[in-house]
Amino acid sequence: MNRLVGARVARINDPRLLTGRGTYVDDISLPGMLHAVMVRASIAHGRVTRFDATEALADEDVHAVITPEQAMARTHELPLVWLAPEQRHTRVPVATDEVRYVGQPLGVVVADTRASAEDALDVIDVGYDELDAVVDAEAALADDAPLLYPEWGTNVVASYDIGDTGEEIEPVFAGAARVVERRLHVQRLAVNPIEPRGLVAQWDAGTEALTVWISTQVSHHIRDHLAIVLGLRADQVRVIARDVGGGFGCKEHLYADEALACLAAMTTGRPVKWIEDRGEHFGATFHARDVVHRARLALDEDGRFLAIHSDILGNCGAHASNVGTGPFRISSIMLPGPYRFERAGTTIRGVVTTTTPTGAMRGFGMQEASWVRERLVDEAARELGVDPVELRLRNMLEPGDLPYDTRTYQRYDSGDYPEALRRVGAEIEKRSRPSEGRIRRGIGVATHVEFTGLGPSKTQQLVGFHLGGFETGVVRVEPDGSVLVSSGVVGMGQGIETTLAQLAAEQLHVPMSAVRVRLGDTATAPYSASGSIASRSMVVGGGAVVRAGARLHERLVRIAAHRLEADPGDIEVEEGVFSVKGVPGSSLTLAEVAERAWLGWNLPPGERADLEEKDVHDPENVSYSYAAHAAAVAVDLDTGQVRVEDYWLVHDAGTVVNPMIADGQVVGGVAHGIGIALHEEMRYDPAGQPITTSYLDYVMPTAEDIPDMDVSHMCTPAPHIPGGMKGLGEGGTILSPVTVGNAVAAAVPEIAERLVETPLSPSRMWTLMHEAGLHDETGLDDETGLDDDDPTSKE
Amino acid sequence: MKAETREVTISVNGREMTRRTEVRTLLSDFLRHELGLTGTHVGCEHGVCGACTVLVDGVPMRSCLALAVQADGAAVETVEGLAPEGELSQMQQAMRDEHGLQCGFCTPGILMSMLAAERAGVSCAEACGDVLGGHVCRCTGYQGIRAAVRRRWAALPAARGEETPA
Repeated sequence: MNRLVGARVARINDPRLLTGRGTYVDDISLPGMLHAVMVRASIAHGRVTRFDATEALADEDVHAVITPEQAMARTHELPLVWLAPEQRHTRVPVATDEVRYVGQPLGVVVADTRASAEDALDVIDVGYDELDAVVDAEAALADDAPLLYPEWGTNVVASYDIGDTGEEIEPVFAGAARVVERRLHVQRLAVNPIEPRGLVAQWDAGTEALTVWISTQVSHHIRDHLAIVLGLRADQVRVIARDVGGGFGCKEHLYADEALACLAAMTTGRPVKWIEDRGEHFGATFHARDVVHRARLALDEDGRFLAIHSDILGNCGAHASNVGTGPFRISSIMLPGPYRFERAGTTIRGVVTTTTPTGAMRGFGMQEASWVRERLVDEAARELGVDPVELRLRNMLEPGDLPYDTRTYQRYDSGDYPEALRRVGAEIEKRSRPSEGRIRRGIGVATHVEFTGLGPSKTQQLVGFHLGGFETGVVRVEPDGSVLVSSGVVGMGQGIETTLAQLAAEQLHVPMSAVRVRLGDTATAPYSASGSIASRSMVVGGGAVVRAGARLHERLVRIAAHRLEADPGDIEVEEGVFSVKGVPGSSLTLAEVAERAWLGWNLPPGERADLEEKDVHDPENVSYSYAAHAAAVAVDLDTGQVRVEDYWLVHDAGTVVNPMIADGQVVGGVAHGIGIALHEEMRYDPAGQPITTSYLDYVMPTAEDIPDMDVSHMCTPAPHIPGGMKGLGEGGTILSPVTVGNAVAAAVPEIAERLVETPLSPSRMWTLMHEAGLHDETGLDDETGLDDDDPTSKE
Repeated sequence: MKAETREVTISVNGREMTRRTEVRTLLSDFLRHELGLTGTHVGCEHGVCGACTVLVDGVPMRSCLALAVQADGAAVETVEGLAPEGELSQMQQAMRDEHGLQCGFCTPGILMSMLAAERAGVSCAEACGDVLGGHVCRCTGYQGIRAAVRRRWAALPAARGEETPA
């Protein structure tokens, strides 16, 4: 039989996307539609004392202005999803007159066109009583720091421990032959899918129903939270995601501005479109990362790892986001990586600051954990004078150790971690290139284990994550033999429509062309609480489709066997044709089987008529992917520029359904991580004004930054997932920043000890190398690097 | 407040269209919302990401940085014109074969820039370098797009498909 799983099948949605026939949310236009723009806070901290829209409302193009007061009166609080133990708030208002970050939505203008709404925005007079800003998490802990929520008496929103702490772990550090300790920082990032957020909302007053087309990763979750916030029943709200122009984590929950745009549709009785612009994105869409780790690695005299610990201080922004301290928690549970430790643990403090809240982004917590662990391991290797690959191999879990229970509550499932690293390491010598003059070259490696396919609902309950962890797959053979697959996961470019179709077609023994996949619409898709987040669509959603497809196939075989007067065991199915083994000419097409079955005619005893199977898949555990990466970099000692010249990796995500799509996910993820390693940084000034609010200031990786890379897969099926898949959308991003960091350390060992924070931008690199004396022989030996006679240095 | 309007006539993908529009209307908004040609996408609205690239009299232009009135009398080509008979162009097919797109949002702009590059006779290396360098893609890491460009350029008649840097 022609296998579809594992085949490089062309994506089914490419033709429409390549010809401009996709339907992204801004492509939707409804009769009578109005346009909304948000009135946003222009200060970081304070209270709104005046909101005067008189002049705006005098404009005949303006249909409504929703003030903060009106918005507060008409909306309920938004529940937060992932709650830490004793988290100081668990719900946040959709609208408030208390300002805690620049870009916070205050109200809405609704006008005939987006341009006229923006005109009106200019004449709305907003006044504030301003308070002091605090941008930095460490500064927010100071005794005299401004308090965002004075009633708490602190800016700490939650604090707790994970794994081994205090007496369980301190004696190990005290008795260790060597402790490598660093303060490491991962910068604040903006997520930046190229399609911004946006929605079209339509309120039908007759049926009292709200329909929302929205760019999201989580249709049902948006529906449930819109109902809560707007005071509707869930059945009154229908949420539809059509083509989504990238998500990367920032479209995984309901935002206040999205709820306000829906309120505008209900208020005006007209369809309302709201599309975020890019400048808005930098303040209005949740950021990610922004975390400081004071981390330690303890080793014995033979270079064996004894313990790892980190004291984590995370910047939550203006309020706990939907996931709150979740990223810091995931950093904690995945901190040990693929190594054996006697003890491992963290302490977590999440603090609020007058900045945009931080939430999910590709690599969620695990990118930070990898940055911390793999930098410490590399530093240990450097201090010990041991090869970094050798030190890692000495401490890695072997295949025979799996399943393995870590000190941070994970049960790693399957794989061969050392083999991945050995394969990557074997390439180092032949890919190594010499330094030339002022260009230094070096190769770095890194490894990790990844938490994918979130997850068992019972685990989500255990950690206070208030969304179900299951997925439902529905597979139906229609009376004409066509196949419809429905799932609650959402397509956002990851190719899930194609890979789900492959799974269903393989189970049913039909060609890909017979299968249509329908996603994203709460009116037709089965319920999905968590949606397409956390590398779970293929693992959890795909597993459900595998089981539903297999069951439907068994039934079809029984029905066909009955019709053909044969034993089900003697039925062969090829390309949708059922035949009896060894009886030529005796066959039925899927359409012939389906047509009669849906009539309820000629069914075997006990068989029911409908050809639809539904499977609810709540896996017993998350699945653990792993990888080893290597990067070769060139560092210009004089400009500080880092170029990634070569990149190769070995990745294991269990069964690979479509290697072309899998490689694309991994390569794209690595590219995202190279942006984190070298360029991207969301910055604020001390008054809390964001200062990187365009692509001129916030530098996205472009083609010249990203080399072609070599991706190899090992395929150790997840033992507990139907189909054996593990997640693979995030691994590239998780490991590439520290792989590049380790390569830079190898190229310029003089600064290795201080390579503790990203981005390794030319300015940071230049400063580090300057302070290490690397410019002493080039004339660049003064503090500023500028010649005293340079006229630009004198005003 | 009512903005000043003007009549604009543009030939789009070979078909002449006339609309009265505000003088401040961006070419991108004019194409998308007044002509209904939503294949051209708007990613940053400040001329960096390149998603909105169209050809104006054959020259690639960020349609978010141009006004519709500036294109009055011009011939504009958009992604909708690349496969008029429904069959993918060679570059579109190469993008599909090499997985040069994921979410597809930045793709139309890249296709238009590559069309101009192909016509201008630029080398494969330049198409993978400077031309692709003018676009931001968050999904693919550019590798699949470069592979698609190489595949397309290898099929070009002239000796332009030379090796490209990795």
